[in-house]
Amino acid sequence: MADEVKLPRLGQGMESGTIVKWLKAEGDQVEKGEPLYELDTDKVTQEVEAEASGVLLKITVPEGEADVGTTIAVIGEQGEDVSAVKAGTAQPVADAAQEEGSPGPAREPERGREATAAEQVAEARQPAQGNGAGARIKASPLARRIARERGIELGSLKGTGPEGRVVAEDVERAAASPAPATPTTALAPTGEVERVPLTSLRRTIARRLTEAWQAPAFQIAMSADMTRTQSLHTLLAEQTKEGEPRPTVTDILTKACADALMRHRAVNALWAEDAIELHPSANVGIAVAIEAGLVVPVIHQAERLTIAELAAARADIVARARANQLRQDDLDGGTFTISNLGMFGVEQFVAVLNPPQAAILAVGAIERKAVPTEAGFEARPLMTLTLTCDHRSLDGATAADFLRTVKAFLEEPGLML
Amino acid sequence: MPELSYREAVRDALSQAMRNDEDVFIMGEDIAEMGGSMGVTQGMLEEFGPDRVRNTPISEMAIVGSGIGAAIQGMRPVVEVMYEDFLTISMEQIVNQAAKHRYMSGGQLKVPLTIRTQGGAGWSPGAQHAQQVEAWFVGVPGLKVVFASTPSDVRGLLWSAIYDDNPVIFFEHRTLYGLKEELAEEIEPIPIGQARVHRQGEDVTVVATGRLVHEALAAAEEAGQQGVSVEVVDPRTLQPLDEDAIVASVKKTNRCVVAHEAVTRMGFGAEVAAVVQHQAFDWLDAPVERVGAKFTPLPFAPVMEEYVVPHATDVLEAIQKTVQRDGSS
Repeated sequence: MADEVKLPRLGQGMESGTIVKWLKAEGDQVEKGEPLYELDTDKVTQEVEAEASGVLLKITVPEGEADVGTTIAVIGEQGEDVSAVKAGTAQPVADAAQEEGSPGPAREPERGREATAAEQVAEARQPAQGNGAGARIKASPLARRIARERGIELGSLKGTGPEGRVVAEDVERAAASPAPATPTTALAPTGEVERVPLTSLRRTIARRLTEAWQAPAFQIAMSADMTRTQSLHTLLAEQTKEGEPRPTVTDILTKACADALMRHRAVNALWAEDAIELHPSANVGIAVAIEAGLVVPVIHQAERLTIAELAAARADIVARARANQLRQDDLDGGTFTISNLGMFGVEQFVAVLNPPQAAILAVGAIERKAVPTEAGFEARPLMTLTLTCDHRSLDGATAADFLRTVKAFLEEPGLML
Repeated sequence: MPELSYREAVRDALSQAMRNDEDVFIMGEDIAEMGGSMGVTQGMLEEFGPDRVRNTPISEMAIVGSGIGAAIQGMRPVVEVMYEDFLTISMEQIVNQAAKHRYMSGGQLKVPLTIRTQGGAGWSPGAQHAQQVEAWFVGVPGLKVVFASTPSDVRGLLWSAIYDDNPVIFFEHRTLYGLKEELAEEIEPIPIGQARVHRQGEDVTVVATGRLVHEALAAAEEAGQQGVSVEVVDPRTLQPLDEDAIVASVKKTNRCVVAHEAVTRMGFGAEVAAVVQHQAFDWLDAPVERVGAKFTPLPFAPVMEEYVVPHATDVLEAIQKTVQRDGSS
């Protein structure tokens, strides 16, 4: 029987998603659990697996945005009539299923009609096809691997191998060719405005930060003497076993924030319009810059993790963020966010709230600065912490108490014990 | 360093092992006074005497069978089967006896037997004296199979075969006996199961055995002048097979040609191609090309024989196919 593939809800609050590409073509055999298409949702692109086995009879949404629950494709038996299924319709599955069980010569005309429909969809999907529309693309395994790794569509390439096979060099050339366009414009600007269409990620960033701007926010800042944190960092780095991620200062900072949040629960809060939610665990989001923009994967229950475990968790989410392999649950559930621009030499900055979280900590670079002592001045490694707070959830004195605890933990990590 | 031919290198390994170890002895048809049909054992009767250099009746079954018995009793016999075509007659002894005793006795028996044999085309010996049958034995668990292509390899590998506690079928190629190489006096054993990279390259890996190693090296030279960089790998041991070396090479070059003198169909190259496609699938940029003899009994007529077995030109053609870039077939 035919199964309609509907756009799934992959996380809380997901209303729609953008289909980036189909990993199967119409007519392909599909096994349950096989990756079927790539879906771009708020901040992640992920492969979605088929929930049924059969032949991919029809793709009703070849690419682009669709609402959750929309029928985007139909999987069934070869020859089943799917002409009734329209793109975007949330037609009951039963409708398609009624056609089941009537194979035979009588169905021949329907089959013909279906093929025509399928061809039309295929044509619409792949204009200016270089390698045969809908048909399996001839490409060497190496070429496929490189294309997969670099996100290049094989169908858009002209194969120069035997029998028109796409070989590695064709993909390498395609990967290299868009690059020259940039230097050309840079060297000789044409004066034309370049319009960069918004990706789903960019649109999400814009929407959420605009929302954040509406919150009444205030900032407080403190500097922490990082001498002891740096000694601890050196010690932990030395003790790291071969092959394990080396803890960074950021990991110690995450630990300090998580422990401070447990002592100041008012900061570990979410604004819920009619209430303030105080959360029992510190789910600390780490802002990660990726090529496409910014993502904030979350280390859940950070207060329960050792620094080594935090380092492992951070290494994992950062690597997956950069590889574009984050899952929706990596992004959900954050109660607090750390944004560190220290590695870029930024001395201090003000972060924009990550709603509905009550606070976000902006971390600058560690810099040696002259600090007055009884004997005169001494150079000390200082780091500026700037906390942006949602005044609806949090008041200045509460925020200051929290930040003082973070500062104390960084200046004497032993206090975290 | 003395210069030894492939023939002398085999003799040197046998003689040094026999000087080294009283358990080592040789037997076969006409190997004593005549020194073997290919002259490999010339002079050994004089040095070691008729007890250790034994002529046998014309019965390959008896030659291998008595070798198995001696091996089980603690000797390290090296028996010679004059032409590998004649291995057919000793098949029962090799496949059902030599290969199985260790297993069937639960490890109580071992069969440290080396079966030397030679074959190959190139001198018109005809359909019953020129075959390359090494692949038959690779599919028999319990046997090790060696096919050496140079004087240094044949000497070092024969030494390891003699001292291996399992039966080893040791293939030599008729046309390589005159091939010369400077070798150290002392034998350096070559471990069984270790491939040799004869030539480094970037674009195509040719996995070749026996005579085809030299044809592949000639083809690689020619390809180099056409701008194609070829790596030549000789597995040397067909069982166990140094899969790591082959796969590593193909992962580097992304293309593979397999080449041997035996027929392509069910030839050893088929196994190599299977290993490569499975372990280096995502690294392959072209189908694995196979070079081997045409599927026919070997003709007696020299021009016809030359037509049937592969040469450097065939290897070169296969190399060119893997890098073909004109978009046609």
